[in-house]
Amino acid sequence: MAQSDEEEDYMSMVFEDAPKAPKHETSLQRAARRRREGEAAARVKSKAELKAEAEAAREESLATALPSSNKGFKMMAKFGFKQGDTLGKSEDARKEPIQINIKEDKGGIGLESEKKRKFMETMAKADKEAKRIKATEGDYLELRRQEQLEKKAERQLYNAQKTAELLAEEAAEENSQGVSQQVPLKDVNVLWRGLARRRLEKNDHQKQERELHNSLASRLPVYHDDEEDNDSKIALGRDADPFYRSLMNDDVEEDSELAIFEALPAADRLRQIALFLREKYHYCFWCGHRYPDATMDGCPGVTEEEHD
Amino acid sequence: MANKRADFDDDDGARVKRIKVEQNGNGKIKDPESNPYLAHWNDQPLKQDPSNSADLLYKFKRHATTAKEANVAEDGPLNPFTGQTLSSNYMGILKKRRDLPVHQQRAEFLKLYQESQILVFVGETGSGKTTQIPQFVLFDDLPQLNNKMVACTQPRRVAAMSVAQRVAEEMDVQLGQEVGYSIRFEDKTSPSTLLKYMTDGMLLREAMHDNNLTKYSTIILDEAHERTLATDILMGLLKEVVLRRKDLKLIIMSATLDATKFQKYFHSAPLLAVPGRTHPVEIFYTPAPERDYVEAALRTVLQIHASEPEGDILLFLTGEEEIEDACRKINLEAQELTREADAGPLVVYPLYGSLPPAQQQKIFNSAPPPLRPGGKPGRKCIVSTNIAETSLTIDGIVYVVDPGFSKQKVYNPRIRVESLLVSPISKASAQQRAGRAGRTRPGKCFRLYTETAFKKELIEQTYPEVLRSNLASTVLELKKLGVDDLVHFDLMDPPAPETLMRALEELNYLSCLDDEGELTALGKLASEFPLDPALAVMLITSPEFYCSNEILSLTALLSVPNIFVRPAAQRKRADEMKDLFAHPDGDHLTMLNVYHAFKRDDAQENPKQWCHDHFLSYRALGQADNVRMQLKRIMERSEIDLMSTPFEDKKYYENIRRALVAGFFMQVARRDGSGKTYTTVKDEQSVLLHPSTVLGQESEWVVYNEFVLTTKNYIRSVTAVKPEWLLDIAPNYYDLSTFKNNEIKKALQRTMNTVMRKESTKNKR
Repeated sequence: MAQSDEEEDYMSMVFEDAPKAPKHETSLQRAARRRREGEAAARVKSKAELKAEAEAAREESLATALPSSNKGFKMMAKFGFKQGDTLGKSEDARKEPIQINIKEDKGGIGLESEKKRKFMETMAKADKEAKRIKATEGDYLELRRQEQLEKKAERQLYNAQKTAELLAEEAAEENSQGVSQQVPLKDVNVLWRGLARRRLEKNDHQKQERELHNSLASRLPVYHDDEEDNDSKIALGRDADPFYRSLMNDDVEEDSELAIFEALPAADRLRQIALFLREKYHYCFWCGHRYPDATMDGCPGVTEEEHD
Repeated sequence: MANKRADFDDDDGARVKRIKVEQNGNGKIKDPESNPYLAHWNDQPLKQDPSNSADLLYKFKRHATTAKEANVAEDGPLNPFTGQTLSSNYMGILKKRRDLPVHQQRAEFLKLYQESQILVFVGETGSGKTTQIPQFVLFDDLPQLNNKMVACTQPRRVAAMSVAQRVAEEMDVQLGQEVGYSIRFEDKTSPSTLLKYMTDGMLLREAMHDNNLTKYSTIILDEAHERTLATDILMGLLKEVVLRRKDLKLIIMSATLDATKFQKYFHSAPLLAVPGRTHPVEIFYTPAPERDYVEAALRTVLQIHASEPEGDILLFLTGEEEIEDACRKINLEAQELTREADAGPLVVYPLYGSLPPAQQQKIFNSAPPPLRPGGKPGRKCIVSTNIAETSLTIDGIVYVVDPGFSKQKVYNPRIRVESLLVSPISKASAQQRAGRAGRTRPGKCFRLYTETAFKKELIEQTYPEVLRSNLASTVLELKKLGVDDLVHFDLMDPPAPETLMRALEELNYLSCLDDEGELTALGKLASEFPLDPALAVMLITSPEFYCSNEILSLTALLSVPNIFVRPAAQRKRADEMKDLFAHPDGDHLTMLNVYHAFKRDDAQENPKQWCHDHFLSYRALGQADNVRMQLKRIMERSEIDLMSTPFEDKKYYENIRRALVAGFFMQVARRDGSGKTYTTVKDEQSVLLHPSTVLGQESEWVVYNEFVLTTKNYIRSVTAVKPEWLLDIAPNYYDLSTFKNNEIKKALQRTMNTVMRKESTKNKR
């Protein structure tokens, strides 16, 4: 059974074919149909329905201009009348018949427009409110989207900086023939200096914490085991030599170059690093691959979009 | 005042559509000679016998008279037009006339009149322009020297009659002699007539047979600001006529509103303005829009009565029912105020077009006296439609309450409906209403809307009638007037092109215009009848259905106000009486039954009582009788045969219904399924039968006389017809290929198939 193709998608809202009328109507069906039609025709419509229908027909006719197939039109055309022309010789002659307005109540002059005005006012208010809600909704979504983008860019930036740092260290190692050197912070490329600085700060911070802890502990009236030797101290997480080294050179120097760079949006910084990586190391951040030469054969482009 | 008589013919009744023939006062039968509609058939005899006129005017030089000379002539002692000695009554009136504001500017008027062919004259209500200006013209134009006349048009018949009456008195002549009037179906003029007041529609009719209006040396269009259909058409025509007839002078008279528009329209004609004699009116607005203007109006009236000093109140509402209801409520509340709060007596009078004349006259009663000596003064309150806005002056009105609405005719060519709808008035209308409070002394106008609403919601001017009317009958008239290019006919406010399109189309389907837009023989004949084209065509084709007598009666009945009376308190009884005449096939046949019964001897013994007993309007039936007579004359002149199917014949009523289709095939509706609703053919509007109909629900196809637009769509005056008649009698309109695919088309298709099948079997035999 070649069912798979034929199988009907019963959830689909598309009607492939209009239901086919049975080719032959049986007499019973015919009788039923006639009865149905008869009932529909014979059903007495309510007065309101009739009035609404009559009004609708009237309004429709009133809104429909006489066609140019009208016999009168042809007689008028004989004298040069064209569709859209007016009669007579005055410039401001009427084009349309006077509208018919049927007054249905005893409301005084101005009541209708007063009602309308009030209605419009209410409508306008509601409209404004709806717009305001929608606008805030839109803002919020946009904000969220921006935040997401920002976060993503930050994440990528961090990765890019890591990569750059790694590549730079590798290059430095190669140059120094295996002798590893601690590069002073201000000599680190500004592109990833922030990364290095934050790491440094973090280390310092941890150090300080520890030192603080030790110093406090040393001053607090805690149990002090005189038997404790240095090994025991280290095992208990305390410095063997309480020393306030880091607390003393606490302030990190001002770095205006870094500050300027950090002030740029994350996406810009990311772009700069990506470009730097390409130029210096023929490395494409988006491909995640280091190419052998400057042509970078096989990389689709500089931006993330080009790598989609 | 000159036009103190009310004009009650304002089209504020519910039946606007086909009222073209108006009432002839007492319903008397006029001989053909005096029928102004037929005046063009009578040869105009030479009117002037010079010895008949006073010598005085022969010293005058035409178009060179000074105000001084004219004043001297007016002073007498002999009447300058008749040579008779002037009466003391004349002298008394003359003194008052000299006090009128227009008199101050007589010299200025004459100068401009003499210098220019066209003049726009602006005079506020109360300036005396309607009575005085035509007389000023007479003394300078001297129409008697050229065997011509001066015409002064009025939008309303009653105004034409009452002003003519007044001016005849002022000139000390007999009405119908030197000064006369001419309104449809009544001509009060003679060969010696120099000054003719007439309705604007009447002058237009005259122009149809005399395109250059050669009978007149000066034509004055009065109350032009009202912008009636006939005035607008006349302005368009006269604009052309003055180019052809350099000797014809034209004066457009208007109240202040928008006079510069007339000036611009008539190629910067000079304008002369005369201030009216009015007092300041203080206007008050409501601080907020009113929830219910009727309720607010009642509250305001009662508040005025309780707290304002002496002076009568005029309240504007929209229609008969609303007015009667308001009157009842004000009466009740006022009585309570008098009892409980020591207010003065208040008398309330309604005023609307369909009110009987005797009741209309009551509005001129003076306010009631205080209940006891030294008590608070009484007052009257008139609750009126916009009749009281322009057409009549009621002295003593100090307070006007204006809710800002009136019933106005609307027409929309897209759904072909002409109806009266309650609509906000214009700023101009509101000012006019306010002005009514300042006729006798400074007054107050209470507008039941805010000042902002006045400024922002009300349109500047009421839309002229030409923008709110079906133009089918106007187009027919213009074609008859020789205006061929209707597209570029220079109307002051041209209507929407679709209005003209629809009118041309309707006339084409009625075979009054051919496909090129040229007048057909039938169209020429139809234009002779002062009727809507559909009615005229129905009447002309009725001999083909052997029932022209009956269709003639029916046409007359459809041309007058509603013949059935249904007082609010006796509705049930009135409906029972109507059922006596009811014909199961419809309202047209029912009306015909009423008319036939009315003409029977037993009814004619005391027709007034008979009408009263049967809840019928004696006035309307009398009018119908008169209209029938006039139309019959035109039919005879046009050699249209008058005939009837014998009453015993079973086709008697069927023939009438078929003849009805010949005129009204464009006003047909078909019932939807088995429900109560109908759908109109082609326009596809969903409609209901008007509750007043006698027709049962079982008729599938009906013709209707009127599409009434309210919160529901109604068709009024309906009669059942058969679909095969539609296909047979109006094959052009019922060309099924032009129909949209709908139930109506299917039904007609079925009918057509049945007819064809029947015929083919007939042929086989």
